[in-house]
Amino acid sequence: MSAPNDNADELVVCATDAARTFGVGAGAVVAVHGVCCEVRPGDLIALTGPSGSGKTTLLHLLAGLDTPTAGSISWPSIGPFDRLRPGPIAIVFQAPSLLLPLDVVENVELPLLLQGVERHVARRSALDALSRLDLDSVAGKLPEELSGGQAQRVAVARVLVGRPQLIMADEPTGQLDHESGTVVIDALIAAATQTGAALIVNTHDESVARRLDHRWSMAHGRLLVEEVSPC
Amino acid sequence: MLTLHPGRQLRLLMSWMVALVRHSVGRLAATAVGVALAVGLLASLGAFLSASKATMTQRAIETVAVDWQIEAQAGTDASTFAAAVSATPNVAASEPVSYASTTGFETTKAGSTQTTGAGQVLGISDTYRSTFPAQFRDLVGAGSGVLLFQQTAANLAAQPGDTVQIGRAGLTPVTVTIEGIVDIPQADTLFQTVGAPGGAQPQAPPDNVIILPAGLWHTLFDPLIAVRPDLVRTQVHARLDHRLPHDPAAAYSDVAGKARNLEVLLVGNGLVGDNLGATLAGARSDALYAQVLFLFLGAPGAILAGLLTWSVASAGRDQRRREQALLRVRGATTGQLVRLSTTEAALVGVVGSALGLGIAAVLGRVAFGTAGFGATATATSVWSIIAVAFGVGIAVLSVAVPARRDARNLTVADARVTVRRVGNPRWMRWWLDLLLLGAAAVVFWLTSQNNYQLVLAVEGVPSISVSYWAFAGPALLWIGAGLFGYRLTHVALGRGRRVIASAMRPLSGGLSDTVAGSLQRQRRAVARGAALVALTIGFAASTAIFNATYRQQAEADAILSNGADVTLTTSPGVVVSPSSPQAAAIAALPGVHHVEPLQHRFAYVGADLQDLFGVNPSTIVDAGRLQNGYFQGGSAQQLIDRLAAQPDGILVSAETVHDFQLLPGDAITLRLQDGVTKQYVAVPFHYVGVAKEFPTAPHDSFLVANADYIAARTGSDAVGAFLIDTGGANITSIAEQVRQLLGVDATVTDLESTRVTVGSTLTAVDLDGLTRVELGFALVLGAAATGLTLWLGLNERRRTFAIATALGANQRQLGAFVWAEAGITTGAGLVTGAATAWILSNMLVKVLNGVFDPPPDSLAVPWTYLAILLVVSLSAATLAAVLAIRSSRTQHLELLRAL
Repeated sequence: MSAPNDNADELVVCATDAARTFGVGAGAVVAVHGVCCEVRPGDLIALTGPSGSGKTTLLHLLAGLDTPTAGSISWPSIGPFDRLRPGPIAIVFQAPSLLLPLDVVENVELPLLLQGVERHVARRSALDALSRLDLDSVAGKLPEELSGGQAQRVAVARVLVGRPQLIMADEPTGQLDHESGTVVIDALIAAATQTGAALIVNTHDESVARRLDHRWSMAHGRLLVEEVSPC
Repeated sequence: MLTLHPGRQLRLLMSWMVALVRHSVGRLAATAVGVALAVGLLASLGAFLSASKATMTQRAIETVAVDWQIEAQAGTDASTFAAAVSATPNVAASEPVSYASTTGFETTKAGSTQTTGAGQVLGISDTYRSTFPAQFRDLVGAGSGVLLFQQTAANLAAQPGDTVQIGRAGLTPVTVTIEGIVDIPQADTLFQTVGAPGGAQPQAPPDNVIILPAGLWHTLFDPLIAVRPDLVRTQVHARLDHRLPHDPAAAYSDVAGKARNLEVLLVGNGLVGDNLGATLAGARSDALYAQVLFLFLGAPGAILAGLLTWSVASAGRDQRRREQALLRVRGATTGQLVRLSTTEAALVGVVGSALGLGIAAVLGRVAFGTAGFGATATATSVWSIIAVAFGVGIAVLSVAVPARRDARNLTVADARVTVRRVGNPRWMRWWLDLLLLGAAAVVFWLTSQNNYQLVLAVEGVPSISVSYWAFAGPALLWIGAGLFGYRLTHVALGRGRRVIASAMRPLSGGLSDTVAGSLQRQRRAVARGAALVALTIGFAASTAIFNATYRQQAEADAILSNGADVTLTTSPGVVVSPSSPQAAAIAALPGVHHVEPLQHRFAYVGADLQDLFGVNPSTIVDAGRLQNGYFQGGSAQQLIDRLAAQPDGILVSAETVHDFQLLPGDAITLRLQDGVTKQYVAVPFHYVGVAKEFPTAPHDSFLVANADYIAARTGSDAVGAFLIDTGGANITSIAEQVRQLLGVDATVTDLESTRVTVGSTLTAVDLDGLTRVELGFALVLGAAATGLTLWLGLNERRRTFAIATALGANQRQLGAFVWAEAGITTGAGLVTGAATAWILSNMLVKVLNGVFDPPPDSLAVPWTYLAILLVVSLSAATLAAVLAIRSSRTQHLELLRAL
């Protein structure tokens, strides 16, 4: 949340005048202007705004996938940058982001294996995560054999298994019908609630935004904080 | 559906091409490079082949001293006959030559009289030597007037200024004064029996020859015509207009046809000895062999470049499918999709072809000094057109045909699928690879039944044939081995997942099972890459081994023919002992490492006269550079050791063993000339082994025995030749010093000259040229097959790597996926390719044994080239992997945005 923070160590992520400019000189494009924001554990945030407003760039910055060209971003409760992943921060993308040569259970266990977890432990956790999302039946399937909704739920299962502190979702329902989208958002909220993680969902879907506790709006690369009451 | 006006259609195509160039330049460039390699290789080799054939024809012409020897039949008026020949179209110059048989020559010096047996006296005009400069070679004294043949001079111990008496059958002898001594390099053809078939020609030219000016000859021998007209004959020697077809076969047909035409014009009064036709007949089979080599060694390279292009295009197929799907959902018709893909193929084909022709031109200029490899403009143009057609064909087959098939059959949903559960390819289920390998073995066996006779050129027969059937053996083996490599990789990745996971644990750690699973599901792509690497390595390595073996045997042939770096052959009648001052003087020359005396006698085996070589068993193996292939039933050292163990032992040719039904240990009695009495005496030997080849020996029948035994039984240790080892250095200058030392008493030949003269026209064309072009391309193909296809394959999986990066994979973990794929593709390809190359090299050397004389003991392995090939392939694979890892980590944001 963007409100002043009394206990900085509890913050999951904190941005101070963070900006991101692509290109140089006359052709330079400022995608994000001096953003200041804070996210606490358990925050459920909807990030909205028109296309090209800088939502995805801000998400990438907060996830540590990109670095700001001005200002700073820190993750006080997680630690330095090199500890962000695998584990503490998990991301769900708009399109199915499963690794195509791996089957479903292998995709789900991958973050754990990247963390160095023993294979049999990772496999058990992955199957457990899939079971929680009612995806046991597709554990041995290849991503290309899944529907779009199933693939996104598997991506959520992959988030769940890592027990992250911050979950980012970049238009996770953008390519799904309403019913499938609802299932995916349910799964994300449940995952965040169960693990106590913060959740930031980048979305154009007003119904999705309304289901989250807080709303951040972006326009022309600037963050406009707007409190929204929970449903 | 979209229905566009033609103008809009064109604009759509242009827009599409511009977009392709802007956004898929890498894919287009890689495909164009594949096309360029195919076009470049084909254009280079084609132009080289044309230039080679023209060189063969030119060289055949240059080696002939006199193109035609037209002999007047008895009763024909000589001057009328000469005028008729001179007036013949295509005869550029002609000279009459008179031949007379003499009873012998005699000289008397310082009270000692030397005589010879029967001989020949030639009468030539003053202009003959300028018209046919290669016929005689001046040695000592004047170059005109009365000239004595070198061998005769040695027999008579005559020098310029000495008088020689010439015997005339039925008339009194006449005396002439020698003005010069000459060599007759092509005495065989000069003294041929015109019109007689090959088997009826004299076994050797006469030893005793005097050449007289025409006027003097007529003064001395016109009286003989009246007495013994059978001892006198007239020939007209002719030089033809050498503007002949470039292809030796066509040039042969042209010259042979003109010769027959002249015989018709002469109405039975003359027969043509067609020396030029005979030489071209040899060159045409060499030309066919060059063509065979081109097909054997060059065609796989062009096919490989085609496969590479197809593989590169396949690597971009998923992207192309997605683009098609996007266009389809926006209303594009199948026809429009096909036109777009055809336009892409045309762009790739044209750009690739232009690049390929450029590569060929640069290669030609760098390696041969001309862009067309020395071929005519017409030949270069024809080959360029063929190469471009091939290149455009490859582009169409690789890009347009699959795209057309997809456009007609693929659904939008299918286009999204990049990894799916697939079974074995159909050919694997049919065991096509093993069937091809089996068929290769059968064809090879059938070819061996024909003693690997690939080119059939019958002497005197205009047509010449090639057994293209023999091509099938190596071709089937190569293709079968490539598919077998695919099967091995496919099966290993499919069924051996656990083994592969265990093997990769040191590299991949806890991810090894995941990586193995990933490879298992992508086994088709990995196996395809491995098969391509195997085919490339198989091609490159077998070509290199074949070429190295060819060079080795060409050198062995030269050594076998000449005997040593420098060989001194004593003239008949000149007796030189191993301990003579001349031998000591030669050994003392700077640069001479060793001088090996070699006895040479003639011995009667029954009624058959054969060459007998007397050797020192303790030194001949090294001094004669004897190869195991020269002997049968043991190594060179073993056979010579048998001689050493049995003083009266003798090695005979396989033909003699067969003719006389000899068994080891059998006694053979030869008749040898006694050194003192000059009478033939019986000398007993025991047969101890078979010699197939021996330095300086004729191909068919000869004998090898202990020099000491021969000397003891004939009372003479006279040496026939000295084999001079110079350590391979300063050969020409040492040969010249030996010549100056011994004058006309000996003939000195050197390895450098022999390489040129004994080599076939094929050798003269220089297989090195073909080698340089092929091996250069093979290296590029090796790098492309490993590096380019691997990089493109990995590039297609950038999305996968970007997601893995987003999930937190560090560089080492990401590398586990990339290095595993690179390692298996390259490793499986290299191992299969190496095995293929070894088998293929053996098969090629056997099938193409016609170009090897003598046949090789073993393959020559060019380790340096193979090491370079290995390093280039591994470097290309490493570079591809590093680039893939780097681009996944640096460009992952762009890729993630595209998700």
